[in-house]
Amino acid sequence: MNIDINFLGILIGAIMASSVPLILAASGELITERSGVLNLGVEGMMIIGAISGFALMVITDNLFLAIIGSMLSGLLLSFIFGFLTQSLLTNHVASGLALTIFGIGLSAMIGKDFVGIPGKEFPLLFVNLKEAIPLFGPIFFGHSIVFYFAFLLPFGTNYFLRKTKIGLIVRAVGDSPVSAANQGINVLLVRYCCILYGGAMCGLGGAYLSLIYTPQWIENMTAGRGWIALALVVFATWSPLKVLAGAIIFGGITILQLHMQAMGIRIPVQFLSALPYIMTIVVLVIISRDSRKIKLNTPTSLGQIFYKEK
Amino acid sequence: MNTKLKVSKVSKIYPGCIANDNVSLDFESGKIYALLGENGAGKSTLVKILSGVINPDEGQIFLNDKLLKLASPKDAKNNNIGMVFQHFNLFETLSVFENLSIDSEKNNDQLRILVNNILKKYNFKIDLDVPILNLSAGQKQKVEIVRCLIRNPKVLIMDEPTSVLTEQETEDLFLSLKKFSKEGILIIYITHKLKEVLSLCDEVAVMRKGKVVSISRTVDEELSSLANKMIGESLNKIKKMTSNNLSGEQILRVSRLNFNSEDPYEVNLVDINFTLNKGECLGIAGISGNGQNELFQILSGETLSNSGSIKFRSKEIGKLNPKERREYLMAFSPEDRISQAAVPSLKIYENVALNNFKTSNFFEKGLFNERKIKDHSKKILSNFSVNTDNVNLRSQFLSGGNLQKLILGRELITSPELLICFNPTWGLDVGAINYIHQTLLKINEQGKSIILISTDNDELLQLSDRISVINKGKLSKIMSAKEVNPEKLGLLMGGGLVD
Repeated sequence: MNIDINFLGILIGAIMASSVPLILAASGELITERSGVLNLGVEGMMIIGAISGFALMVITDNLFLAIIGSMLSGLLLSFIFGFLTQSLLTNHVASGLALTIFGIGLSAMIGKDFVGIPGKEFPLLFVNLKEAIPLFGPIFFGHSIVFYFAFLLPFGTNYFLRKTKIGLIVRAVGDSPVSAANQGINVLLVRYCCILYGGAMCGLGGAYLSLIYTPQWIENMTAGRGWIALALVVFATWSPLKVLAGAIIFGGITILQLHMQAMGIRIPVQFLSALPYIMTIVVLVIISRDSRKIKLNTPTSLGQIFYKEK
Repeated sequence: MNTKLKVSKVSKIYPGCIANDNVSLDFESGKIYALLGENGAGKSTLVKILSGVINPDEGQIFLNDKLLKLASPKDAKNNNIGMVFQHFNLFETLSVFENLSIDSEKNNDQLRILVNNILKKYNFKIDLDVPILNLSAGQKQKVEIVRCLIRNPKVLIMDEPTSVLTEQETEDLFLSLKKFSKEGILIIYITHKLKEVLSLCDEVAVMRKGKVVSISRTVDEELSSLANKMIGESLNKIKKMTSNNLSGEQILRVSRLNFNSEDPYEVNLVDINFTLNKGECLGIAGISGNGQNELFQILSGETLSNSGSIKFRSKEIGKLNPKERREYLMAFSPEDRISQAAVPSLKIYENVALNNFKTSNFFEKGLFNERKIKDHSKKILSNFSVNTDNVNLRSQFLSGGNLQKLILGRELITSPELLICFNPTWGLDVGAINYIHQTLLKINEQGKSIILISTDNDELLQLSDRISVINKGKLSKIMSAKEVNPEKLGLLMGGGLVD
């Protein structure tokens, strides 16, 4: 088979673009979980981000406002979750599941007037370089600003957690909220901030789908990406760079198997469709099998309700 | 500079319990103060108030005649009150240095220099860059102490610091505390261990049921006087009557029992043989980690041995699980009260119901008969003097002594023929220990048998009829308790004497 080098570049570029929403949502959820909060509402926050972004774009005709609005709507939804779990001390798992169901329903309701409306073209950066450089051009150039942000985010997250004081505090809260409170750290504030940040990133991930990747609104268009993002965080053992790797592998195999289906390779379609899920888990389990590191990275208090002694 | 800390008329009331009742105390630097009391006497509540974790309902605290407002742990820190809790407040997955830096305003380089100086000065050997979970309990405690020292504390409060330490670590700690005291740090030492009070402290305040009942100099006190103040009554000295049970009816026979574990951290048991008579107490001594855990688990049926036999009243029970063994009227009291014997988050009556699935009529057609269980639980609480009658209380709120009484009560109320207990008084205060010892003696007198696996030699010598020592998974010859003394036991435990 003769693969032309430019096609390869475009293919890799497409793979990377398809993994952007996963990277955004998973990076956000990673910070939330590192503070000890398990928010299973990722899917709901993404889909709300997707519809809010799209609706705002249609109404205001301003993409910048649409992006900001999508993040705010994700943040708002996560605030409900934060209020329930942190202030009213409800169970994390149940609250998160409810958030997803709520988000999907609400987005369908808001979105029924926006079905079939065409999206707006999102400005792409370095388009001239894309054509000029073979192979690397289509990989690295001609993408949206959100794309570049997403690929820098895991590195930023990693730096934040390892090198900054606030990152240290987030990890400390996730390790033991009781000890943190005894050290004078405001556990509720830290956890609220992490929850809201996670919500904003999920909203942005959703908006990437409806504004940039496939610029239109389709009901349920996140199609389980929120769950994949959640799984990525766990299988990447809460390490931002492994989340990035996992997201690219997932995106990559998703696109490759589509090409394989198109080429008519004689493998059952169901198996090919399942391949991205299987391979991502296998690869992440293999690269994360150091049990000592798992122990160090896992937020010990994940999903535990914290209340202050009085 | 001299530091004076004054606690004035502090009270803290929880629903159903007065934790601190009008507590007034004066402390001055240069001395080491002991705050002595049984579990649940209100010591921990007081230190939590002093460290700002909880707020008192009434009363004030003065530092050098200045009224302190301790609304949060931060306030205590800012007023140079340092605190080392019994349960460490460390972040297990963070490195030592990260733990220290988290609440420090200094930048990392300055802090590292400061910490290294402290480590050198007090000869603490801690690697700053390993995660806390790799450290021993003694090292973790040193990290906590260093965390306090960074802030130049005027007051250092230690809450039952030796409960997790080895003997050597305890000695090291005492040396450090004496050094701190010489340097002008006021030290308040909370404990229920009488010997420590006498060997370390200058003054001692005794607390009982939330009140301060006595303040005195330790030179004027001795073990028995402190014990009496702490308990509030004289302890009956326990001594086992000479028993005639050695020739009684045989109730348990363990022969050629072996256990090879696949887990490298477990001890293999080699050729265990012993018999137990009706009404007899067989003590099994040994340094912890020599196979006691494995032996207890095999006797209780939690794990099954690879070979050999256990005959209870001439029935082979070696392949039965704990539940089935209970049906043959065996009872078990494991070492770890919190995770093995009881479920801390369950209510008292639920914990009582847990191991009475078949032997009782608590369950009718698979349903829970709540009233019956509650009545039954109430009976246990009153028969075994647990200091609450609220069967709806979550077990985690019971102190260690009361939890142990509950567990023993739960096991004994069905009048089993054989009780196997493992370190039944571990970590308990004198009053609770005394109660449990009396209980064990009593059931012996009633003709029930006991296997007492314990690391406490005094306890073994007090209660046992015969004693064997377990060392590296092997039992020594079984001796009559009369022919054993602490020295001989010590030698056998260390493997220094081969019989």
